[in-house]
Amino acid sequence: MIGKSKHLFVFVLALLLSACGGDDDNPTPVDNTKDREAILTHWADNIIKPSYTNFSSRLDLMITRSEAFTATPTVATLQEFRNAWIDAYTEWQKAELFEFGPADKYTIRNFFNIYPADVTGITSNISDPSANLDLPSSYARQGFPALDYLLNGLGDDDAAIVEKYTTDADAAKRLAYIERIVLRMQTLINNVITEWNGAYRDTFIASTGLDIGSSMGAVVNAYVLHYERFIRSGKIGIPAGVIGTIVGSPFPEKVEAFYKKDISRVLAQIAHQAAIDFFNGKSFNGGTEGPSFKSYLNALDAKDANTGTLLSTIIDNQFTTINGKLAQLMPDLSQQIGTDNEAMVDVYTNMQTAVRYLKVDMSSAMSITITYTDNDGD
Amino acid sequence: MKNYLQKSTSAAPLAVFRIALGLLLFVSLIRFWARGWIHELYIEPKYFFPFYGFEFVTAPGEYIYVLFAICALSALMFSLGLFYRFSSIALFLSFTYIELIDKSTYLNHYYFISMICLLMTFLPAHVYFSADAYRNKSLAANTIPQWCIDSIKLFVCMIYFFAGLAKVNSEWLLEAQPLRIWLPSKNDLPIIGWIFNYTWVAYLFCWVGCLYDLSIPFLLLKRSTRLLAYCAVISFHVLTAILFPIGMFPYIMIATALIFFSADVHKMILVLIASLFGKTKELMFPNNNFKFKPVRQSLLISIFSVFFIIQLLMPFRYMMYPDELFWTEEGYRFSWRVMLMEKAGHAQFTIKDEKGKIAVVDNTEFLTPLQEKMMATQPDMILQYAHILRDHFSNSGWSSPSVYVDSYVVLNGRLGKPLIDPLTDLAKQEDSFDHKAWILPFKNEIKGF
Repeated sequence: MIGKSKHLFVFVLALLLSACGGDDDNPTPVDNTKDREAILTHWADNIIKPSYTNFSSRLDLMITRSEAFTATPTVATLQEFRNAWIDAYTEWQKAELFEFGPADKYTIRNFFNIYPADVTGITSNISDPSANLDLPSSYARQGFPALDYLLNGLGDDDAAIVEKYTTDADAAKRLAYIERIVLRMQTLINNVITEWNGAYRDTFIASTGLDIGSSMGAVVNAYVLHYERFIRSGKIGIPAGVIGTIVGSPFPEKVEAFYKKDISRVLAQIAHQAAIDFFNGKSFNGGTEGPSFKSYLNALDAKDANTGTLLSTIIDNQFTTINGKLAQLMPDLSQQIGTDNEAMVDVYTNMQTAVRYLKVDMSSAMSITITYTDNDGD
Repeated sequence: MKNYLQKSTSAAPLAVFRIALGLLLFVSLIRFWARGWIHELYIEPKYFFPFYGFEFVTAPGEYIYVLFAICALSALMFSLGLFYRFSSIALFLSFTYIELIDKSTYLNHYYFISMICLLMTFLPAHVYFSADAYRNKSLAANTIPQWCIDSIKLFVCMIYFFAGLAKVNSEWLLEAQPLRIWLPSKNDLPIIGWIFNYTWVAYLFCWVGCLYDLSIPFLLLKRSTRLLAYCAVISFHVLTAILFPIGMFPYIMIATALIFFSADVHKMILVLIASLFGKTKELMFPNNNFKFKPVRQSLLISIFSVFFIIQLLMPFRYMMYPDELFWTEEGYRFSWRVMLMEKAGHAQFTIKDEKGKIAVVDNTEFLTPLQEKMMATQPDMILQYAHILRDHFSNSGWSSPSVYVDSYVVLNGRLGKPLIDPLTDLAKQEDSFDHKAWILPFKNEIKGF
């Protein structure tokens, strides 16, 4: 009833408007830069789907290498498996931020990258091949962090690690667990990719509103959450000991890829760059910029009223500052924390500034509520 | 004046208003229930934000459903005019109690409903076309004192006028804020959406909206402009219903504005309703004048005078506070200020104790998303939350914990900045009606009301 009267009203108003507007047969939007459908289309076709496709091929390669390793565990197959794992983990940083739509439905991040790895849990799962991997308690026992432990953390050198897969009493069970978790990753990500390649892409693009359940609202929320909780806190703040219930003591063992040691900084850098590229609407292939948060904010003329600087410029400048500071950290962030934690805290503080620009300034300018509750306002 | 107070008028408009208000409230409450909001707003939260001076109002846990059931049932009885004295008081008390539980759910239109229900408890809205009058012929009357209907009209006029006055400021008229932020978000509406890409449309809406609010009371009062004004009421509220998530409010206001029409119009509505029941004769044509006893009348007039004086002053109390109202929100509520601010914020709390322990709080462990959103921009709620945290950490063994907040707030498109002094230990501050000195200055000027 209410819906009907709404439509009738819109119709009458439209008649009135076209009557006074004159230009009755073609009232198309002049200002395309505020066209959210164009943004959603660009995201889906030029960023999200290519990112997933690319990640999927790296993951497939990793699985091939893992099969070679499980068939014949040697130092050589271990190293090839590990290199493919690094490649896939790196590529994952560019896909993890799309935790909306299908990825949100399958809560894909929970099964791919919750760290620090739960070593006790992994050990117990190895001895129980039917252990449930869907429970929240099992998140840190699978995905890239579990592989980090299994490929890098079982011994002091590669020969010692390979021994755990050859002569050790649990060798066969360990290999079986590796097989189980890598295939599980493939199944899960294929669920997400299948949906994006199917009907979801059109559903995503058609939902052009900004209210509850709209695509843009979901993307902004997922994006800001990813930046705040999984880049700022997860990669930097928690290990540096600046966030959490008891602050002050750092937790170097909580860095990403703790057992591999020397890739934690580069993973953070790539994840951060992926967030920047998404903000600017950079196509995954080719790198040209398209409709994005940046273009939309500019179209809305969001700026600092005092200086006239565009909000998008302020945000991009902050990103650049953070990139500069990230680049100065040691490749192994756990080592950085032990040597000079202040540098980590400094990155955190600068990321906190970026979080505010994104979470408060950007979302407010776009008229998007960050923490949704579907309630009336006045 | 004395003559005026003795004047009688048809009881029909007040009866229609009673029926419509009761039914709409009943539907609102059922809608609220069906959407799961009772659970979300009154059961899920671990903590609540009571209003200053109303701390005794607490959430009744699962019994909130009983309260809502009482409220919905009394709305229905109120509409029917069944046990009206009892049902109107039950409706006012249950509705108001629910609204007082948590500030995060405060909306001006809930306050409006509370206040109108309060007025209705005193008025003889049940003497005509009601279950009570049908059952008790000695109660039935077709006229009531005119001031009874006029007081509802006056209250509605005040709301519109104050809502309009609140828009007479540089933000609304000169910057078109916050509509220039909100309207583009609706540019995907069918047919009309594209016009919201233009800034001038936001200006047009601001100016028209302000003039509408300021003039509609007078246009509704005047017989010659009434019909046109009522069409404007319908268009305006339906438009706001399309553009903004404001629930049942537009429909309540559309129904309320009917009160301005003449008795004949209301009788026509009642004939229509009566024909549904086939009781036209019994319901429509009592021939009796309802009058209050002189003592009672004087008492009611005094109560209503006090009510209207308070209503007249409330929207101006902000003038007693320094700095910008939109920033501090001291004197913002209960003043019919609607749709004036696009305000968003982020508040991160740090707890320190005497032994050097430090914790950074994850707000989601304590508050619901709605509570966190509301708290982040409103200083009195920030203080209440700081006290919740102080008590929580104190109970978990921290010795006299201090609470500091790192806050960041945007208002109507300005770049964000801290709202609260980060060096103030909020654990030691107390709420009061005084200005909160720990709110950082706005350092910007919004001219006008």
